[in-house]
Amino acid sequence: MGLANHRTLTLGALAAAVLIAPLGAQAQTNYAAEAARNPGAASKPTPRTADGHPDLNGVWHHFFGIGTIQKVGDSFTVGGAFSPQSGALYNTPLGDSKPPYKAAAAEKVTLLDANQVKEDPALHCISPGVPRIGPPHQIVHTPKQVVFLYADSTGNQWRVIPLDGRAHSTDPETAATYNGDSVGHWDGDTLVVDVTRLTDETWLGDNGLFHSRRLHVTERLKRVGETIQYQVTMEDPEVFEKPWTLSRTLTLQPDALEEAAPCVDNDAGHYVTKEHHDNTR
Amino acid sequence: MRGLHRWLWAMVAALVCALPGMAHHSFAAEFDANKTVTIKGVVSKVDWVNPHIFIYVDVKDANGKTTTWALQSLPPLFFRGSGLTKDVLMNKQEVTVTANPAKDGTQAYGFMTKLSYADGHVFSMSPADADPSLRQKGK
Repeated sequence: MGLANHRTLTLGALAAAVLIAPLGAQAQTNYAAEAARNPGAASKPTPRTADGHPDLNGVWHHFFGIGTIQKVGDSFTVGGAFSPQSGALYNTPLGDSKPPYKAAAAEKVTLLDANQVKEDPALHCISPGVPRIGPPHQIVHTPKQVVFLYADSTGNQWRVIPLDGRAHSTDPETAATYNGDSVGHWDGDTLVVDVTRLTDETWLGDNGLFHSRRLHVTERLKRVGETIQYQVTMEDPEVFEKPWTLSRTLTLQPDALEEAAPCVDNDAGHYVTKEHHDNTR
Repeated sequence: MRGLHRWLWAMVAALVCALPGMAHHSFAAEFDANKTVTIKGVVSKVDWVNPHIFIYVDVKDANGKTTTWALQSLPPLFFRGSGLTKDVLMNKQEVTVTANPAKDGTQAYGFMTKLSYADGHVFSMSPADADPSLRQKGK
């Protein structure tokens, strides 16, 4: 999702963008690349299900599978959202606000970020969890439940979100999990998903953005034509001064979701120095 | 116009100043971008896995002893729709590979920067390698 890929656009990155541009590669986000595949999507009609709610069915996001290897004649070369010069994804910043960490927590973020290649769970095939996994890649929408599907680099993930008005599980034996306990309801034309019981083993982004077991996530999805306005709010009174909200626009995609390749952490034992390894969503 | 020129020069200056920063590779924690090794061999296995695919190349030395190099490449989703598949990579031809070796001294382990076939076509991290004249030669 590029969730929290909030590092400032450095001079180097800016220069990289300038350097890449003449080579014909496009510096853009996954979201922009996906929007380009369905021009005028927001202006198209908004279909509704039999019960009158906006129909959320469809493939909406492809992680970073935007064709970054290009065939040129008989050869293959790297393009798209990857910079051969810097060896990094150069997604343009998504305009996210800075996570509002309390001072003590911010120190820990700095420490974790400095050791990101060793500490980032998702870089080592651990599920990124909600909300770092990002907006749903595919939505299966039925009257009683919606199912979010993800083909993440850590593996295939799913979330079943009941819409029958039930409350969160109160069973104290229910363990905290990567994707938590989700319940959904409609607020007019907006699907609201409330998520609790999230493990603190995950990060919110790839820059050391840890959180506590008190993390509470609210997702809001509003279909507009063939787009979805996706908003996620993170509340964690233990580490945040105030809630942190990020917004993305998803675009209905023409192709099917592909099964993710298995995740095998071949790198873990080989990190010697501390350069950051981009791991955005 | 004058403002635009000034801006362009500022950009050029920024670019030149920033060039040393280009050495900051995101894989630099693991591989030494300042060193390049070149090997010749045959692709014997491809692991199509996240977070990076691995290409294994069997290299024979003068005594006939085979060493299998493990070469990291890009995430599987980068290959989506490109036509570059596991089967394409496993084509039994002799290949010449350049790679950045591991920083931790692990032998026969590196990040693949270019894989070249005898007919001139390549799989490269550098767009400049997919030069049209090279492609013509490969036909």
